Formats: sequence, structure tokens, C-alpha cells
Amino acid sequence: MRNIKNFIILLTLISTAFTACTDLETEEFDSIISETETGDFTGNPAELLASAYGLVHEGVTHHERAYSFNEHSSDELIPPTRGTDWDDAGKWRALHQHTWDSDHPHNLPTWNNLNQGSFICNQVLAVNPSPQQAAEARFLRAFYMFNIMDLWGVVPFREVNDGAEIDPTVFSREEAFNFIIDDLEAALPNLPVNGPSANNIYGNRAAANALLAKLYLNKAVYLAENPAGPYSFEVADMNKVVEYADAVTEDGYSLSDDYFKIFSRSADQEVMWASDDGTIENRWRMTLHYDNNPDGWNGFATLSEFYDKFEENDSRRGGSGTSGLGQGFLLGQQYNEQGQEIINSRSNQPLSFTREVPLNGAASDQGIRVVKYHPDSALNYVMLRYADVMLMKAEAIFRGATGGDALTIVNELRTNRGVPALASLSEDAILDERGRELYWEGWRRMDQIRFGTFNDAWHEKEVTEPYTVLLPIPRQAIDTNPNFTQNPGY
Amino acid sequence: MKNFLLLLTMLAFIPLGNVMAQNRTVSGQVKDASTGETLPGVNILEVGTNNGVTTDLDGNYKLSVGEGASLRFSFIGYKEQTIAVNGRSVIDLQMAEDIAQLSEVVVVGYGQIEARDATGAVQSIKSEDFNVGVISSPEELFQGKSAGVQITQSSGEPGASTNIRIRGTSSVRANNNPLYVVDGVPLSGTDVSGGGNDVGFGSSTSRNPLNFLNPNDIESIDILKDASATAIYGSRGANGVILITTKSGKSGGGLSYSYSLSASTITKKYDLLEAEEFLEASPGATDGGASTDWQDVIFRTGITQSHNLSYSGNLENGDFRVSFGYMDQEGIVEQSGLERYTTRFNGNKRFFNDKLKLSTQLTLSNVRDQNSLITNNSGFEGDLLGAALKLNPTFPVRNPDGTFYQVGTEQLNPAAMLAYTDDNTNTIRGLGNFSAEYEFFEGFNFKTVLGFDQSFSSRKAAYSRDLVAANIDSLGRAFFSDIEINNTLWENYFTYKKELSESINFDALLGYSYQQFNNRSKLIIGQNFRTSDTDIMINNLGAIDYTNGGFLVGNTTYETDELQSYFARVNLGIADKYLLTATFRADGSSKFGGNNKYGYFPSLAGAWRLSDEDFIPEAFTNLKLRAGFGVTGNQEIPHNIYTIRSRYGLPAFSEGGIDNNGRFDAVAFQNPNIQWETTTQYNLGIDYGFLNNRLTGSVDLYRKVTSDLLFRFNSAQPAANPFIWENLDADVINQGVEFSLNAILVDNSDFGWVFNGNIGYNKNRVENLSTVVNTGQVNGQGLTGAFAQRIANDRPLFSYYMLEFEGFNEEGLSVYANEDQQVYTGKSPLPNINTGLSNSFTYKDFSLSIFFNGQFGQYIYNNTANAYFTAGSLNSGRNVREDIVTNGEASSNAPAVSTRFLENGSFLRLQNLSLGYNINTSDMDFIKSIRVFGSAQNVFVITDYSGQDPEVNTDKSIDGVPSFGIDYTPYPRARTFTVGLDVQF
Repeated sequence: MRNIKNFIILLTLISTAFTACTDLETEEFDSIISETETGDFTGNPAELLASAYGLVHEGVTHHERAYSFNEHSSDELIPPTRGTDWDDAGKWRALHQHTWDSDHPHNLPTWNNLNQGSFICNQVLAVNPSPQQAAEARFLRAFYMFNIMDLWGVVPFREVNDGAEIDPTVFSREEAFNFIIDDLEAALPNLPVNGPSANNIYGNRAAANALLAKLYLNKAVYLAENPAGPYSFEVADMNKVVEYADAVTEDGYSLSDDYFKIFSRSADQEVMWASDDGTIENRWRMTLHYDNNPDGWNGFATLSEFYDKFEENDSRRGGSGTSGLGQGFLLGQQYNEQGQEIINSRSNQPLSFTREVPLNGAASDQGIRVVKYHPDSALNYVMLRYADVMLMKAEAIFRGATGGDALTIVNELRTNRGVPALASLSEDAILDERGRELYWEGWRRMDQIRFGTFNDAWHEKEVTEPYTVLLPIPRQAIDTNPNFTQNPGY
Repeated sequence: MKNFLLLLTMLAFIPLGNVMAQNRTVSGQVKDASTGETLPGVNILEVGTNNGVTTDLDGNYKLSVGEGASLRFSFIGYKEQTIAVNGRSVIDLQMAEDIAQLSEVVVVGYGQIEARDATGAVQSIKSEDFNVGVISSPEELFQGKSAGVQITQSSGEPGASTNIRIRGTSSVRANNNPLYVVDGVPLSGTDVSGGGNDVGFGSSTSRNPLNFLNPNDIESIDILKDASATAIYGSRGANGVILITTKSGKSGGGLSYSYSLSASTITKKYDLLEAEEFLEASPGATDGGASTDWQDVIFRTGITQSHNLSYSGNLENGDFRVSFGYMDQEGIVEQSGLERYTTRFNGNKRFFNDKLKLSTQLTLSNVRDQNSLITNNSGFEGDLLGAALKLNPTFPVRNPDGTFYQVGTEQLNPAAMLAYTDDNTNTIRGLGNFSAEYEFFEGFNFKTVLGFDQSFSSRKAAYSRDLVAANIDSLGRAFFSDIEINNTLWENYFTYKKELSESINFDALLGYSYQQFNNRSKLIIGQNFRTSDTDIMINNLGAIDYTNGGFLVGNTTYETDELQSYFARVNLGIADKYLLTATFRADGSSKFGGNNKYGYFPSLAGAWRLSDEDFIPEAFTNLKLRAGFGVTGNQEIPHNIYTIRSRYGLPAFSEGGIDNNGRFDAVAFQNPNIQWETTTQYNLGIDYGFLNNRLTGSVDLYRKVTSDLLFRFNSAQPAANPFIWENLDADVINQGVEFSLNAILVDNSDFGWVFNGNIGYNKNRVENLSTVVNTGQVNGQGLTGAFAQRIANDRPLFSYYMLEFEGFNEEGLSVYANEDQQVYTGKSPLPNINTGLSNSFTYKDFSLSIFFNGQFGQYIYNNTANAYFTAGSLNSGRNVREDIVTNGEASSNAPAVSTRFLENGSFLRLQNLSLGYNINTSDMDFIKSIRVFGSAQNVFVITDYSGQDPEVNTDKSIDGVPSFGIDYTPYPRARTFTVGLDVQF
């Protein structure tokens, strides 16, 4: 009898002891699941859109991201190694000399962040955004994809519900170009119409028009058989540039009365899009000396050849001044707020920036520094502005479009900036004018490629192979997606 | 929980077992045959019944027996004896030690076995073999004591985190450590206390989560190395399992007290330039007019005291032990240390004729860490140590007016760093279990275990605005980092043990386990304070200057995970010669994706006791051949990495204030296939014993293949986040051989000498990897984005990948081979050989032990030298090592990551030297024994490495991919002298 009782108890015990406690589905307490029951992506379009805007700095304007490929590889910026400073395993020298490979430390993070930005825009579009939110998402997606297409040629694309097991499709440069154009055209009707303001931090009609002008101006480059050229600029495309540029003007934009005001919180004429993402500090710290006030990281300088492209009275050149931090190009002795000479604590000598700077082994005071955003007045980072649009229009007309006189447009700008009018236009003249107007704003690589000078030789840079007009696709991107083939030359 | 209540209710109805007629009382005393000492804890059983008792503290017993009964006396390590009562009422007995029995017991998962029956590679280290001295975490107790177990403390900081690699490194994630099981409760691998927040000096690693255990409470540490032993722990067994058993009252005891006092000093300072030499070598440098040895400013002699009090005893049908421990350890860097309070209670009690056994083991501890400003990845400005190495030696500590001499954020004054920072962590942790075991019929038991592990840790740090340092000067910053852990365990299992026939022994286990892990964390950062007083900053947070850009930002997390498992084991012994063990575990984890919720982990092992065969010569006291195979897993991955979900991030801020809201970012991506990492291991071993076991040991060969590597890898873009956890289609292979030898060289009555040595050889290699992954971040000026290690196919993990340095040219610039391209150097930070060698001598009442430990074949990347000891650094007004002045380097030379700073890290260390003396207490009534001892730890180290110490592993991970073997201004290692005494009352 007892045995039976024992047995029953035992059986109950066994079944109890082994009854599963859990189905292993745990609750999320500190994160929001963005998947519906049916596996579709879900979320709040406003939050997602804010996240997408939040990658502009980490994708584009940060000095170790797209900015470094667009500026350090060009003829207007040199990143010297100063003794033990800024060696960074040669990554800056590689940028200047076009000797990067697919493992360049800036390559993968730039790629990741730009693509992440474009993907979050896909997510915005998938979660019932308002028409304006959808239009902004399309504008931003176009902006991120434009950067990817411009830097690497190809652009990957992932549908919003595709999981980790799906390999993203890869758009060719032409497919990407058409996709971006379609996005911007689709966005235009629902984008807000904003006049010029330093606080234009969201997508708007004028910004989209400016971006469209940029795309059509460079279309010949993007669709060229060989990305390094030759390029054939179609008149129809150039007319498009003029059309979009004029659309920007119609929204109330004009050339700024004061050049450096554009880069301040009181900008009120030129800025169609500015980003409040990240900190603008980065722009002066990356160039200023340790002993400047505010102190910098003692990094980048401009080339003396580039500095020499400016005329004496060019308001865009600026200068060191004699009290406190100057603006524009800082050459010669630096002064503190009290007007006293700043002493270089590394050498115990007065801090005076010199014209010439070698790429390697530079002293701490060599090289002309460039301050476009002044610590006293800077607010947002200018992404698109009117003078660029006007120069694009002039160039398009110069390349065959109708709708005005290129020389007149260029001279209007020059007069505004305090330099005499030009008598005639040439490719070189336009490229130089773009340099003087847009230096250190992140457009130089694109411009030099379009004008065919990117592979030329300049200070501390030899003639480089044409394939460097495109960056190598990051190794890890190729390793994680079989749909890629590496760009030629790498 | 509902299930548990049901179970308890049922336990209450369990029949009270057989009651037998008993009509004679036998009593007596049991002594050791050779020493004559009484033996407590001897099991006495009336043969053929369940009627039994154990001897008390004085070796006495009393038992009622039936007519014609025989008593079986058994005690581990002694020869069993069966004696017929024959009408006697007093039976005194002397028991002889049984050397041949290899009496050692090893704890394995869910039970214990005698070593002679073990089929897997397992090793038990008993408390008497532990390292002595200042021991802040349990790993230090057995460093060097087991073949194939590499223990590397990340630095010399009190309670620093420890890397343990059992049979090589097999994973590429932050946590590669084995699973720890304390008295049957598996601990989670997460950090218990907060790491250092980066306020501009770099971030720092959390302290060792095991510091809460008082080493004095530990009875034995058992290491399960091969998969046949660890497979019972399934998805957590791949890195090996370390079972910690705490002391109970079983072995008798009474009251005991121990005290120790230690003094620690730095073993090696850097030979830096003195003031005069510095000015001569760097004529452009500022002359501050003083002469300061900045290393002396931050280092000190650290005094450590520890008290341990315990009381234990045998009760009727049970035993207990309570203990209290206190340790106050001063670090050798000013303002660093560890203070620990622990209490522990272990109790066992048997009821109903020993059919029901209730046990509990509880520990409560409070660890207070004082943290110094020593970090893993400071920039060129340096952390506390970096600042002390590089600051101009002509600078005075203070200005004439008594304030600190602080000239700029680039030239941090270490004394000011000490004075103006305050950083303490307080961790309270409770770990315990309660178990009930019932014997339904002979050999058939059921056991239920409830365990818990709860901790609360709070780190509070403030950096005063008076400190001239970037982001702090004129602002002040504070952070608060809390971690709260609440883990529970419920386990049920049946065991059955039976002699199936004369020659077949059967032993089986079947169980269920449920474990829940809850983890909360909180980080708050405040900047810009109205006060410079660090106490007020921490304790009166309202002091933030909110109207002038001051702010408080923060973020919190709360994650919960579950693990549900079924497990089984069968042991079969045939003819006492052939042993077979099979185990199986099914682990279901909430960390795995929907397609792979359960992992299955089998193992099989066999052993052949050759020494019991006739054809083996008598010279072999023991000879056993073992072979095993098993599959284990690893699931140390973050919570839920398979559902697409997002979190609000910490806001971005800078000196001026908050810049942007934290992005609402995806933290995970759809990934339903994510699963455990799989390690398949084969083991072949021999246990041997010669000359009546005066010479014993083992040899093991193994091959470990880890596949489906859990890897935080780049997402195929575009994706919601840049990284995704994947089971990477690559293998990490570790294979090697382990050898251990224990030799009783002299065993006279007055003099004894025992040699104990182990050596392990391991070879590590990555296969089938189709990409490369960089890690080993190198910090310093001009080293942004630099790295030293690459994980690549057909190479060992963490292979050094860098420029090959050939010397300086005539201009003093570095010349590199291979056209200035980085190359695989063929060197790796993983040692091939680990060894531990100890000699123990006894002479009368003296005992002396000398313990060496060594690692060979590994290379260290000296990031400290790369960042600080270059001509360019000297030229920038920073102090350097003396040899830099004459090494031919030009001041304009950029010190890229290269083999110039890659050094052989092989070393042999005299780790422990201890001398003890047992004072004769025969004429003291109330004292049983007194032992006094002195010990020295880290007496000397033989190495070619130029850095502070070759045993170093600063965390230099990149994007979550760990590094190994890089030296970057780690907390230096100390030499420690200890005196102490143990008294038994």
C-alpha cells in the first residue's frame, strides 16, 4: 500500500519537477519593439525622422567621415603630421595623396553611417508618415544616397522588413542616380517652403531644388562610362540645373551682404539647409593651435597655392586680426583677446602661422589655418547655400544651358564679395571661383572631379591614378554582401 | 514558483521511512591509525540497513543496532572497515589512510565523484594548496595550479578583473571566462559593478565580479576542463566550468581566527629622466625650477589587513559553519583600494533517519572599491599613470601659495588629479541557496534547490572643477553608475545509484533547471557645478549650475533573461575497470532567436582502469586511460538581439552643454536564427600513479573546435544599426597537451618534500574566416584610429598586424620593411606554454612552499612606450624613459604602430614563497593549534619585457571585439609581504 502511495507521490513529483516554467518569451522593459504581430516594421515617424537627421554629423560633416574624403583629398586642405601628432598610422597623408585602400579607417564608418541614415528614411516611409514627414524622409534619403553614390559609385538598398539574412540589392550608379532624382521629385510637392534662415534645419523645397541642381550638374560624371571621365554634359541636364536654381531664387534666397554672417546664427539670406546635429566646435578645433583661444587640436591647414588664389580685398579671405581669434585664413602672428601675442607653449616662441607646411614632419606653427565658423557666432553647420546654387547656375550656362549670362552671375557674386569683375569665363576661372567661395565646405572633391583636376599634382601630392575618383568599397561591406564587386583599381 | 509550492506541499507528505527494531547501543571513538588523532565525520552504517551515524568533533559515536549487526566504518581517504558487533557495546577503532584509493573527491556538476572514477579532465584544488597572501578574488587562489588554465589579471589594481582561459581562447567576445558555479548556483557572467565613465581620461573596466567571495570561506575549487565534464552545463560550458565549494562544518572545527598583515610596494618603476637630465635632453622645455619624481607622488606602500573568524561544528545529524571576514586592502597607487566585509552561513541537517537532508549556503558581502584614475584608453593627455610618466620633472607639485601647480589641460598634475577626484563603488551582494534532498529508497534521491544571487552596486565619482583637465577645468563633472542584479534559480533532480550486479555499478541523474536573470543599470552624468568640493558634488547634486549650461543627463536599462534546461547523466562502472559516462543537456534560452530556442549538448566519455588489469606491472599503483567527446555552447551575448527594437540614447553633450537629444536608435535587428556558439571537444588522457602513488599525475591531449562564432559584426548596409550579432561561419581551433606531476620526494617523520608541477601547451588558430576584424586599439598622440591586432584566417586570434620596424635612418626617422605596409608579424599575444611549479617542504613544525608560475611564447604590445617614450614626446616637453635620449630617434619622427613596440612577454615568476610554523599547543587547554606564517607574493619575475610587468591585459577592444595582451598604463603590479597567524580554539 505504502509502495503505491510512494509511487504516486513520486510520479506527481516527477511531473511537477519537470514542468516547464517558461516559454522563454521575455518582456522588453527598456526598449520599444518596432515590429507588428505580422512581422512588419512599425514605429513613430517623427522619432525615426529625428534619428535620420541625427546621422548628418556622423555620416557627413564629422572631420573623420565624408568630409575628410571630400576635403583632405583636394587641393584646398592639407592634413600635416606634426612630429608625433596627427600621424594616426598615416591615414591623413593617405587622404591627401589618394593612397587610401578599402581598410582606410574612415571608409567603413562613413559607409555605415550614411547607409544607416538612408535605411532609417526607409523606415519613416513604412510607418504611415504625414505627407510632409514622407517628403522630408525622401529628401534625407536622397541626400544620404547622393553622398554614397558620389563617393563609392554603387548604392546598396534594403527593404524595410528584410532581416539579417537578406543580402541588400546593389544599385548601379545610374540606377542610384535615377532613384535619388525620383525621391527628390516626389518630395518636392510636400516639402515646406522656407525662406532663408540659419535655423533651416529640416528639409524644405529650396534645399531639395538645390540638391537637384547639384545632381544634374554632376550627372555627366555619374553616368560616364569611366567614372574619371571624359564627361559629356548634356544641354538638357544643364537646363535642368538652371531650372532648379531659379526655383531656389523664387523662394526668396539672395547673396549675403556679409560673407562670414552665412556661417553664424544670424545668417538670413543664403542658408537653405543647415544641420544642428553634432557640435560645430569640431570645425575650429580641427585646425586651431593648442594655444589659440579656444584651443584646438592643431591639425589641418590650407595649401599656400590655394591661399594665393585670393585677391587682396576678397572679403572671403578674412584674416588673423590683432585681437582675439580671427576668421577666414589665419596667417602670421596670433593674438589673444587683450591684443597680446600668443606664445607657442611647445617652443616658447610667439605663435605665428607660416605659409608653407610639409605633409610630414611639420612644426606646430606651420600652415595657414582656416576658421569659417567662429566660436563667438557659430550655431549650425551649413549644408546647402545660395552662392553655391548661383555658381552652379553659371557653370550650367557656361556648359550650354540657356537662361542668363554666366559671366554676369559670377561677377555679381564677385562684386558682392569685394573683388573686381572678371572679363571672361573659363573652366579654371569657374573652378577657382567655386574654391574661393566654398572652401572647406565639403564640395571640393566633387568639383575637382567634374573639372578633371582631381588626379593632378599639387603640393605634397603627385599625379594620381584616375581610379581614385571613386573610393574602394569597404572590405567589410563586400564580406557581408555577395552582391558587391570592388571598384576597379582597388 | 507555483510549481515550487506544490513541491513543498508534497515533501510534507513524504512517508517517514522504515522504522526498524533496534535493541542495542554501540558507542566508541574513531582515531587515525598513524597520528592517533580523533577523526570527526566518519560514517558508520549498520550493514544492510539505512541506520547510520557520523562521529562528532571528538571522534565519538553512538548508535542503536539490531542483533547480529555489523558496522561499516567509512571515511574519505581512509580504508573502509566492516566490523561485527558481536555483542559488544563499545567499539573503538583506528582507521588507516588509504593512499591507493586516491581518496580525492572531485566536484562535478550536480554531484561529486571520486577522482578514480572520473572519466573527464577534471581537477580539484583544495584549500591547503591555495596561494596565500593578499587575495582579493578567488581566481588568485589557484593561479598556476592547474595545467592548461591561464589566469591573467588585467592589472595590479586591487580586485582587478581577471581573464581565465581554460585550454585557450575560443571566443571573440568580451566575456571568455568560464562558468562559475558556487555551491551549485551558476553565476551569470555579467559585471556586477559599474566601469569608469569616460570624463576625458578614458574609460575603465569593472572590477572582478567574484570579489564578493571571501577566499577564506572556500573549501575547494574544481575545474572542469573537457567537454565530457562541462557538457552537463550545456550552453554555458564551452569555456570550462569552475565549481567553488565553500567550507562546511563537516570536517569539524570549533572556533578559528586568522589574521594577516601585508605590505605591498611597486615592483618596478620606469627609469625616467630626472629634472637635470630632462633639461639637458630637451633644451626647449620649460624649467619649472623644481625636481619632482611624479611616480613617487602617486605610489605608496599599501597596507592590507584581514581578519577571519569562523565557528563550525557537528550537530546531531548535521553540521554548520558561520564565518565573518574583513579585509582592508590599500592599493599601491594613492587613493585606491578594496575593503570587504563578508558573512557566511553553511548548514546541513538530516531528518527522518537521514532520509531528508536540508542544506543552506548563504553569503552576504559588502565590497567597497576606491577607484583611481587609471583607465584603459586615455588620450595623449594621459590618465593618472600617464600623467605621472610624462609630466615635466622640473615642475613642482604645488605653487608657493600652496595651490597645485597646474599649467594646462595637456600637462595634468598627478597630485591634483588625486586631490580633486573622488570615486568609490559600494557593492552589496547576497548569494545563497536552500536545498532539500530526500531518499525515497536506497540509492534513489530527489533534490530540489532554490538559489538566489542579488546585488546592488553604486559607483559615485566626482571630478572637481579645480582640476585643470579638458572637459573638467572650471566646470566639474560627476557620474553615478548603479547596477542591480537579481538572479534566481530553481532546480530539481533525481539521482539513482545501484549495483546492478556484482560487476556493474549504475549511477544516473535526471534534472530540470530554471534560471532567471534580471539586470538593471542606471548612469547619470552631471556637468558644471557651482562648487569645487567633490563631496558636495556627489552628495548634493543640486550644486549643478543649471543656468550657466550645467546639466544632468542619464540613461537606464532593465533587461530580463531566462534559461530553462533539462539534463541527464549516466555513469556505468563495469568490473571496476571500465567506466562510462554519458551526459545530455537541453538548454532553452531567451537569448536565442525564435528559430533556435533550444540547444542540445551531448557528451560521452569512457575510462579504462588499466592498473586493475593483470598485464600491467605492479609498479603502477594507478593507471587509467580516459577518452571523451562532448558538445558545449556559449551564450554570453547581450539580451534579445533578434527582435528589431529601439532605445533612446544618452544625449550628446560637450563643454558648452547638451548638444542634441540622444538618438532613438535601433539596438537590435530581426535575427531569428541567432543561437549559441558551439564547441566540440575531444580529449584523451592518462592518469598515472607509481610507487604506491608517491608519483602521480596525468597527461591530457585535447582538440577544441569552436564554430558558429558569436560575433558582433558589421551589418550588411543599409541597416538600422552598424553592428549585428551573428553566428559567424568560422572556426576557432585550440589544441594542446597538458601534463601534471605530483611527487612525494621525501616523506620522513621529520622531513617532507613534495614537488608539484604542471605544464600546458596550447595552439590557437582561426579557420574558415572570410573577412578580417581589427582590434587592439592603440592610444596616444598621433595614434587616432590606430590598432595592433587583426583576427584573420589561418592565424591565431589577435595576431599582431603592424609595420615592421627596421631601425632609424640617418635622419633619425623610422624605417619600415615591406614598403611601409602593415604585415602579419607572425606573433601573437597568446602564450603557447603555461606552467606552475611548486615545492613544499616540511621539517618538524615548519613548512615552506615555493611556487613559480610562468607563461611563454606570447608577445606584448607596449602601448605605454608607443604613447609616451619617444623622441617626439620629449621634444613636446614631456618626460621619457632614459634610453630615449640616446636611441637615435629624431624629434620629428612619428611613432607609428610597429614592431618597435612589440616585445616578447614570456616570463617566469616566483609567485609565492611562504613559511609557516605550527606552535606547540599541547599544554594550552583552550587552543587546539596555532600556526604563524610569513609569505611573499610576486617576489621576482624573470622576463625580457621592458614594461612594468609582463602579465598585463589592458582592455583595448574595438567595437566590442576584445583585444589581448596590450599594455597601456595599467595599474602596476605589487610585491607583497605578509605575516599572519591562524588559531584554532
